[in-house]
Amino acid sequence: MRFGITLGLPLVAALLSGIATQTALAEDGEIKVGVVAAESGSFVSAGNTIAAAAKLATQQINDAGGIKVAGKTYKFKLFIRDDRTNVDTAIAAARELVNDVGVSAVWGTESHDFSVSMAKITGSAKVLQFTGNSSLGGVLSDESVAKDGWLHYTFQTEPQEWQRSTSTAKGVLSLVGPKLKTPPKHSVVFVGNDATGQYLSENYVTALKAEGQTVDLVKYPPDTTDFSPLLTRVKGLNPDVVHFWYNGDSTLIAFPQALKLGVAPAYFLFGVDPGIYKERGLKADQPVTMSCVPMCWGSAPFQAVKDYFEKYFALGAAKGPQSSVSLLYYDYFFMYAKALEQVGKLDDPDAVVAALEKMQYQGVVSAVPLSFNDHHQVTFATEVCLAEPGSSDKFKCAVEAPPATAPKAN
Amino acid sequence: MTMEFLNLKVPMALGGAHGKAPAGSTEGAGNRGRRIEQIALAVALIAIVAALPSLNIGYRFLSIAITTGYTAIALYGLGLQFGQAGIMSVGHAAMLGVGAYTAAMLSNHLGVGFWAALPASIVFAAIAGGLVGLPSLRVSGQHYIIITFCCCALLVICLTNGGKLTGAATGLDVGSIPRVFGINFDKLFNYYYLVLAALVITLGLVYAIVNSSYGRTLRSIRENEQLARAIGINVDLHKIGVFMASGAFAGLAGILQVYYLRHISPTLYGAFPSLYLALMVMLGGGRLIYGPLIGAIIVNFLPEVMDLNPVDSRIAYGVALLVVILLLPGGVSSGLLAIYRWICGRLFGRVSKAGS
Repeated sequence: MRFGITLGLPLVAALLSGIATQTALAEDGEIKVGVVAAESGSFVSAGNTIAAAAKLATQQINDAGGIKVAGKTYKFKLFIRDDRTNVDTAIAAARELVNDVGVSAVWGTESHDFSVSMAKITGSAKVLQFTGNSSLGGVLSDESVAKDGWLHYTFQTEPQEWQRSTSTAKGVLSLVGPKLKTPPKHSVVFVGNDATGQYLSENYVTALKAEGQTVDLVKYPPDTTDFSPLLTRVKGLNPDVVHFWYNGDSTLIAFPQALKLGVAPAYFLFGVDPGIYKERGLKADQPVTMSCVPMCWGSAPFQAVKDYFEKYFALGAAKGPQSSVSLLYYDYFFMYAKALEQVGKLDDPDAVVAALEKMQYQGVVSAVPLSFNDHHQVTFATEVCLAEPGSSDKFKCAVEAPPATAPKAN
Repeated sequence: MTMEFLNLKVPMALGGAHGKAPAGSTEGAGNRGRRIEQIALAVALIAIVAALPSLNIGYRFLSIAITTGYTAIALYGLGLQFGQAGIMSVGHAAMLGVGAYTAAMLSNHLGVGFWAALPASIVFAAIAGGLVGLPSLRVSGQHYIIITFCCCALLVICLTNGGKLTGAATGLDVGSIPRVFGINFDKLFNYYYLVLAALVITLGLVYAIVNSSYGRTLRSIRENEQLARAIGINVDLHKIGVFMASGAFAGLAGILQVYYLRHISPTLYGAFPSLYLALMVMLGGGRLIYGPLIGAIIVNFLPEVMDLNPVDSRIAYGVALLVVILLLPGGVSSGLLAIYRWICGRLFGRVSKAGS
């Protein structure tokens, strides 16, 4: 009898727990979502951040109990695909996620060409796509985001470029100005000559001109490693400030070369986080400003951002010049989850798009609630920091709010 | 003379019979046998490739197969140029770019769709091929290779700074391919068959060129340009001809690429993609009919099959290229052919006789 109880109780308990587990499994559905990002190749620095943000967001949503849709609980199942910084692989990965796996939403990629080609696949399959690529703004229009438009299911998770350019230009000039003997009047924008570089610099030059700057634009071929000939040319233009756009990795190669050549009395490094400036022990006798896309992990402006990066790095993500890019992807998992809950069904992407278009969501990336405009673009502020001359770790940062209207060059 | 041009049995084996043997002779029977063998092999390969989509291989595999298909078409152009005429180019992606941008610009600025743009892409790329080939009349070898590299870089600079005409660095978008007989080419399966059809036509054309008197002339130029001139061959004309043919195939590949990606930008046609095309031809082998296709399959599928990142892939390609140069000068295709012949010889004991 005692033997029977000894054997029987654990058996009953095991059976009951098995039934309970099965009930939980039966109750929990799964929502397949995907990420296409460069986990290898030349865009790996940005691409890794997308995958890391996606892992963190889905883990948090699932750990918090998942999503309730029409009374049933669902958890995100994440599929990450490496595009190897190759458009053919990105397309193959998008096809796989959309057609083979059957995801309902895709995050990525980090490159304009890849994002646009992917949008043609996701759009026709009515799969939502969230991409942080700012140059997508060039094709997001009334027609393309209309119900039958090819970008109806695509959302740009970066602000409109004129907004970011204006807030960045204001922030840089207001921080650098007091450090120079005379207010800066002449800026040189030094930018990689690729799709993103051309698109970004066009807006930034306009923003600088609107701030009263005389601007020269010098473009360098992508993948340049020896910048000295072009930087010598920049020096010959006698700039007050040289603005390095846009690729943080290239900037980190070019900036030390500029310091050696003594190109300008002040610098701005776009997409370089104070955290990486400190980790690399960079130092300059001139004032150096830098901005993050969108908020800096090395100098988090809000507690929410600080908490986010603590969790992000705790998950094993690398501290890189573009780690902050992860914030362009993180909040939108929560927005998507909220939209699904609001719609109350999983098989109506048009309703999810409509819910996202109306949604106000308080995320990490912004101090004010996030919302998409008519062209599926968000609005949030930009953080700009100044490294004190001669210092690697003393920063003065400011969060510049985006303007309401586009700048007009003076 | 013929044997000197052919430079051994490998081109004879799959490249076709280059000299006609008297009817009823043993050699004639061997040629006929090989011809039947080639046709049977081609039909079997096409049947297998055509059946792939029905094997539930997945969209990812199919996507890479499409990429492989149009890359192979471009490679057949380069294969003619390199394998038959002996002139290497490391700027072949530029020809692809001319074809692709012709289609994209016609679509964006004139509203011309795929079918109307198709001949234009081929013709413009052929003209571009001829123009890039002009310097080859004055320089050869590594000097010409550098010129092709420069032409490629020049095209990218022009496209990147071409403003609204070329879409600058952002590039251009194109719409869908208009339906023909109700076939919707937005469906990946249909696009696969479109690329496959183009590839089969390309294979047929290349086979015809290689086995024509023109093909023999090209090989005579490859083997000894001075001798070819001495016997009255218009070498300059034939060289420009092969550049134009090479460009035409690249143009076809270009338009298929742009309507597959639905968006193009200059980075697709830069130095790096060009080097990859040259690598594929050298790996696969430029002289044999299936060489370019094998090269395209290796380079497109190797990272997938072995899950290689770009750095590992480049190391693998480098090692493979060294192995090919040292052990298989005719490319992987010649190695596969040798294995095939060996197996056939062991099984049937006839090929070795025919081969000899």
